[in-house]
Amino acid sequence: METQTIKTEEFWNREHIVEKFWNGLKDGVIYAKKCKECGEIAFPPRMACNECGCPDTEWITLSGKAELKSFVFTGALNARLELEDKGLKYVCGEVQFEEGPCYNAIIINMKKKKAREIQDKLPVKLRPVFFDMGRYTTLYFELDE
Amino acid sequence: MLHNVKLGKNLRSVSIVGIGATPFMNTILNDTYKGLTHGELFGYAAMDAMKDAHVSPKDVQFLIHGCANPGVLEKSITPNLQVAEWVGMRGKGSFSHSEGCCTGYIGLEQAVWAVASGAYDIVLSGAADLGCGMPDGNTPAHMRTALTAEVLFPDLDSIFDRAYTRYLGGGPGMNHDDWINFYAHENNLTAEQIDEALMHQAYHFRRAAALCPRAIKRTTYDELAKEHGFETPWDYMKSPYNPKMTQYLRQSSDSCVADGAAAVIVVPTEIAHQFSDKPIEVLGVGASVLDAGIPHLEKKATAEAARQVFELTGLTADDMDLVMVNDFIGSSAFLAAEEIGYLPKGEGWKYAIDGRLAYDGDKPVNTNGGRTSYGHAFGASGMADIFEAVTQMRGEAGERQIKKTPKHTFLRGFGGAQNVRAIILESNF
Repeated sequence: METQTIKTEEFWNREHIVEKFWNGLKDGVIYAKKCKECGEIAFPPRMACNECGCPDTEWITLSGKAELKSFVFTGALNARLELEDKGLKYVCGEVQFEEGPCYNAIIINMKKKKAREIQDKLPVKLRPVFFDMGRYTTLYFELDE
Repeated sequence: MLHNVKLGKNLRSVSIVGIGATPFMNTILNDTYKGLTHGELFGYAAMDAMKDAHVSPKDVQFLIHGCANPGVLEKSITPNLQVAEWVGMRGKGSFSHSEGCCTGYIGLEQAVWAVASGAYDIVLSGAADLGCGMPDGNTPAHMRTALTAEVLFPDLDSIFDRAYTRYLGGGPGMNHDDWINFYAHENNLTAEQIDEALMHQAYHFRRAAALCPRAIKRTTYDELAKEHGFETPWDYMKSPYNPKMTQYLRQSSDSCVADGAAAVIVVPTEIAHQFSDKPIEVLGVGASVLDAGIPHLEKKATAEAARQVFELTGLTADDMDLVMVNDFIGSSAFLAAEEIGYLPKGEGWKYAIDGRLAYDGDKPVNTNGGRTSYGHAFGASGMADIFEAVTQMRGEAGERQIKKTPKHTFLRGFGGAQNVRAIILESNF
């Protein structure tokens, strides 16, 4: 009697969420997930909604338009070495995408003088920077002036 | 973020009946301590906790071992079975856990659950870390060398989520100053006012550490100022001897890395008096965990964990006589104390400046000196906080004993980018 075997890859083949996100940045696309129940948008994308606990989410893309709500300068203790090595001027801050989600992000091309100028004018507009790190592309922001 | 967790009562109440702790030290630079190993530090703290509870290894039924970073600091994957041999626990059950700088707090939580469930009656939970050094190549444990910046700094990133947070970068960069920056803007405080608050807080925590024989930094800022030719401690603390390490934190508000260990013995409350005249009941443990990519995560997770444990116990911050805060980020001490309601909203910084958080103030916090003066042996620091809390609640803190022997103590654990625990202890005698 002939037995029919199912290939494991046919039985279990789920999406690669993290890989899709980073490949998206390489193509200049910012992927996120939207909760099918409450509409909350998760950036970066996860499996379930962290706002209402619902497991059903769907892929969406974000425009990259955002606002800087607060920021800090870094010092010897919390400098981002990968940016210092490239000689980049930056601050770290709370960024809110125009679609809603907030995330701690890096704002580059920001000299201290400029940062001090905008400190009392927050929130200010940001645009995305798809930054080539060599083996991957990451998402930073810069002032949209 | 959901706020729908309601803690249930444990099946059995659990109390701490034994405590032990090594001093926090530098085993690389201190000739007396050079050569001591992870297993020995854990073992001495554990044996002291057993002695304090009037039990011996044969009585202990389960062992919990905590360590923030066994991979880098010990080249070890399962340190629990390696330290169990040191304290007469061969063949008994144990496990190791690692939640960064929150490890010690979670060690108590796990021990409480092991006893509350009815599985065990006498559990030992301890934590150890030797943060000043690392294995000197592929050699026996007593051979260690200083932990270099080349090893430490890249490795610190391993506490951040590798899927996203580490490589989007903002979370790790925001880690130290996010909350104090938010607080400064929320309360219209200048950088100078924040600097004053943090310097005064560090000054008074050092006064406590000077009276604590287990603390690693015991020279007061008055003494340091005199030694370096300054008229006042504030002149010294504003000088290049105390540089800014981040936007807000000077060196005096940065943790001092150390080697050390601490341990507790817990048993069911109903038999606690068989082991100690002064048992300390663990009334509850609130928990919240937030990834470092989430803005203002420390404030949010502290509030949530505190909400849970206050709801469970029916107590409020007004019932607390002492607050211990993991303050490897110095500003966390008064910020967390304020967030849980121990200090009036928006006034914590004034309490710090006025010295009211000192061991001899009216709202004591971190009476062992905290991470900036007692020292920071990563995973062991939370367990050392519990050691200090129990010591104060027993009335055994000597010169740094607070004015009112605490009936209730609140402990806020934090670490590992970032786990938070909120624990309430009650003296039961």
